[in-house]
Amino acid sequence: MIEIRGLIKRFDGKAVTRNAVDNIDLTVPEGQLVTLLGPSGCGKTTTLRLIAGLERPDAGEIRIGGKVVYSSDDNVYVGVHQRPIGVVFQSYAVWPHMTAIQNVMFPLRSGQKKLPVPEARAKAMEALDLVGLADLADRPAPALSGGQQQRISLARALTREPEVLLLDEPLSNLDKGLRDRVRDEIRAVQQRLGITTVFVTHDQDEALAVSDEVILMEYGQIVERGPAQQIYARPRSEFTARFMGISNSMPGTVTACSDDLVDITLPHGTLRCVAAGDLVEGHQVNVFIRPESLSLSRKDTTGLGWKGTVEFSIYHGDCWDYHVRVGDTLLRSRIYKEKVGLSHGDPVFVSPDQETAIAIPVGTPAANAGTPPLAGTATAG
Amino acid sequence: MSLISRSRPAPPPTRGASRPAGTATSRILVWFRNPRNILLAVVALVVAYLAVVPAGTMVVASLQGSFLSADKTTWTLRHYGETLGTSDFWVLVGNSFAYAAATAAVCTVVGFGLAYLVSRTNTPAKFFAQIAALVPLIIPGILNTVAWALLFAPRTGALNVLLRDLHLPAFDIYSLAGMVLVQSMHVTPVAFLMGTAAFGNMDSSLEEAALSSGAPPWRVFRTITARLIRPAVMSAALLMFVQTISTFEVPQLIGVPGHKFVFVSRIYNALQQFPTDYGTVGVIGIFILVVASVGLYFSRKLGGSGAEAQTITGKGFRPTSIDLGRWKWLGLAAFVVFFVVAVALPLLMLVWSSLLPGYEPPSIAALHRLTLSNYSAVLHTPALTKSVTNSLITAVLAGAVVTVLSSLVAYITVKTKARGRGILDGLATVPIAVPSVVMGVGILYWYLTAPLPFHLYGTLAILVIAFVTIGLPYGMRYIVPGIAQIKDELEEAAAVSGASWLRTFRRIYVPLLAPSLLAAFLYTVIVAFREISAAIFLYTEDTQVVSVTIYTEWANGSYPIVAALGVFIVVFLAVIVGLVSLVTRKTGLNRNRH
Repeated sequence: MIEIRGLIKRFDGKAVTRNAVDNIDLTVPEGQLVTLLGPSGCGKTTTLRLIAGLERPDAGEIRIGGKVVYSSDDNVYVGVHQRPIGVVFQSYAVWPHMTAIQNVMFPLRSGQKKLPVPEARAKAMEALDLVGLADLADRPAPALSGGQQQRISLARALTREPEVLLLDEPLSNLDKGLRDRVRDEIRAVQQRLGITTVFVTHDQDEALAVSDEVILMEYGQIVERGPAQQIYARPRSEFTARFMGISNSMPGTVTACSDDLVDITLPHGTLRCVAAGDLVEGHQVNVFIRPESLSLSRKDTTGLGWKGTVEFSIYHGDCWDYHVRVGDTLLRSRIYKEKVGLSHGDPVFVSPDQETAIAIPVGTPAANAGTPPLAGTATAG
Repeated sequence: MSLISRSRPAPPPTRGASRPAGTATSRILVWFRNPRNILLAVVALVVAYLAVVPAGTMVVASLQGSFLSADKTTWTLRHYGETLGTSDFWVLVGNSFAYAAATAAVCTVVGFGLAYLVSRTNTPAKFFAQIAALVPLIIPGILNTVAWALLFAPRTGALNVLLRDLHLPAFDIYSLAGMVLVQSMHVTPVAFLMGTAAFGNMDSSLEEAALSSGAPPWRVFRTITARLIRPAVMSAALLMFVQTISTFEVPQLIGVPGHKFVFVSRIYNALQQFPTDYGTVGVIGIFILVVASVGLYFSRKLGGSGAEAQTITGKGFRPTSIDLGRWKWLGLAAFVVFFVVAVALPLLMLVWSSLLPGYEPPSIAALHRLTLSNYSAVLHTPALTKSVTNSLITAVLAGAVVTVLSSLVAYITVKTKARGRGILDGLATVPIAVPSVVMGVGILYWYLTAPLPFHLYGTLAILVIAFVTIGLPYGMRYIVPGIAQIKDELEEAAAVSGASWLRTFRRIYVPLLAPSLLAAFLYTVIVAFREISAAIFLYTEDTQVVSVTIYTEWANGSYPIVAALGVFIVVFLAVIVGLVSLVTRKTGLNRNRH
């Protein structure tokens, strides 16, 4: 269990007006995996390094397993090597002058309580077994592949049985195919051991795949948090919606409300959407629609389709992306069905699925302060 | 050497289907029809000549019965037997190794220690790190030596006076310890730079991983940092050893008065005697050459294996600081002490001495005698102004030649598939392994004995040749990375647009390389301007360069003149160094490398 209150880390240098980590409150429940997700420079890695003690906060409090490891009020700062943590680094950080098992044994032989060699070796072998590398134990570290090195790194972080596991973009140095395997491995090991884990990434697919809870960050602040499914299906802010790949957005006005469903008038018609937050009639909103929720047809069978023309198409193998101009807006539609190819200039009708689009009030703050959400306003797609 | 190739930009038309397979001769003739190939072949020959001549002549001299005499040439190993058989020689070996090894140890420990503080801890000393890059360039070894000799002059040296006032025993600088001190002061900043580079290349998450494994900081330093940095330390120590064993100023100015002879001073003094024992000089020269080559070989090898520590750094790489807490002020103090001792003291000593009519230690009373007369003496003594002019001419010429040569060599080795380009690359770096003393003596021997249609001894040209040879590897270091960054497509695009190769080189490469070329030029000017270890063997009355003048004026006892001239030199070098760092910083080239 990790509890963080009012955590602040300033940037080095004077010219910077905002903080690297700006007043963050965060709790990672026992045994859960929480992802810190956000674009580069959003403060996610800094937050992780503050938890680890690799950097010193400027204010706030951090507890690990109930024990205070940092507190600006009580002037407590526990050094990295005295915190009950295991860290996996983006660059693996596997020591090149040691073998695999020597790497994994290091924490057992160097920490506060030192195990005798045979015992340490046995425990290190267990950890290697856990990540499936027991038979490579005596390989020199540089002779291992990237994926193997990252699994060594994971074994090394776990062998001391730390209270929390901290993963700093552990997959981003790996090849694409390998990435999925190591990702699955990390999640499997984490659930098997039930270890409290913080996982930092900039990749939303990765975050969705492994997390119990996703925390979205921007400008050093937390924008939104929630279970992976909720973050994906029901984002509550424009920043989250865009970051989670909902690339179509249109301005509209609320005309009717019932529970969490609202009817929205759009430039091309009306649409029943899911409301993010409390909406009343007359509210200005932005409607976010996933490309998968837009279907295309040559004829307007329902009478609700929006008339447009195909700009261009992209073939992905398992699906097509059609970019369709409707009025002033360029909409992206993803079609999985085998389809007669549409090409540039073809007239089509775009029909949005009802009750899947999300209506987000205009001007939802990107974060809980008034920083302009620059990244959020960039047109996606 | 053969540079025959199928080179990318202008493939020789040898493979035409209609063309019958030509003889070897005709193929070579065809190859030479391309002006580019002729130019490249000439460049290769020039570089080979420059690289091979000094060391080669040295070998020949050591093997001839009576070198440089009218007698018939005989070949013999006699000199080796005679020289290596004397106990005198082995005393020399003992002195030289003790001197160089102690210097290497001192400057590597201090240099890497300071580098660790600045690159791995939060010691607030980044400012010093930037200065350190410049110091060894603007204070030539000869001036450093002169300043320390003044600081620790047996009776009147400023520091010895101070020691005596504190009732401490005076320090005798004319001893092995004195030599080590003076040379260490000169080379430690270089070791410091190598240290910051080594620590900078090491992914700091390797240390963070150990910290977060529960190892306390001192254990991390011992088991991870020290272990990973070890090859770089050994590599730097060997390089310092080689540099120390092959330079002139400290052994001659500090060692000889204390009767501590090492290789370099022995060679110099042997050449001052008549009749000169050329054979012994040759043998000692070869001995240093071998020691230097072996040292550099292992230095490179270790430096290379340091790459294992570089594994992958990725974009997550950010060098971080170990928080020293209050101890960081102690770290800062270490820097301040070092810079006061290694930089401020020698420079202040020079300035002080340059302002007095005769040397005396600093005191209130002496303030009344301050004068600028030494500066005006420097400006109005024809012999001195002439040596400055000579230095400027040779340095600028050497800079220009090195720039042209190394850009062409770099082109051949990086951008063509010419056979033998690896050898050419090797030849261009050979001068690094040839100690400057050997370079000087070898060049001297060659131009005294070679049956050439012109006489270079006694001209500035012979000095330019020496400086070009010494500067070539440095020029290469600036230009090779520059040329490697230029994509082949840029040249190919020019060729496709119909430009000839010469035009392509002029219009594409030269403008894109301009910053590298300028940096290589200026850096060679600095190297040539400071050079003494080779020049000391090559100058004559008329062709004295400024570094040699410092030495001869010092030997004559004109300390104030030496100091005033020294201040001029430091100011001049500081300006050029400023230009170099402006050029390199503006264009994002690497920091000054040594």
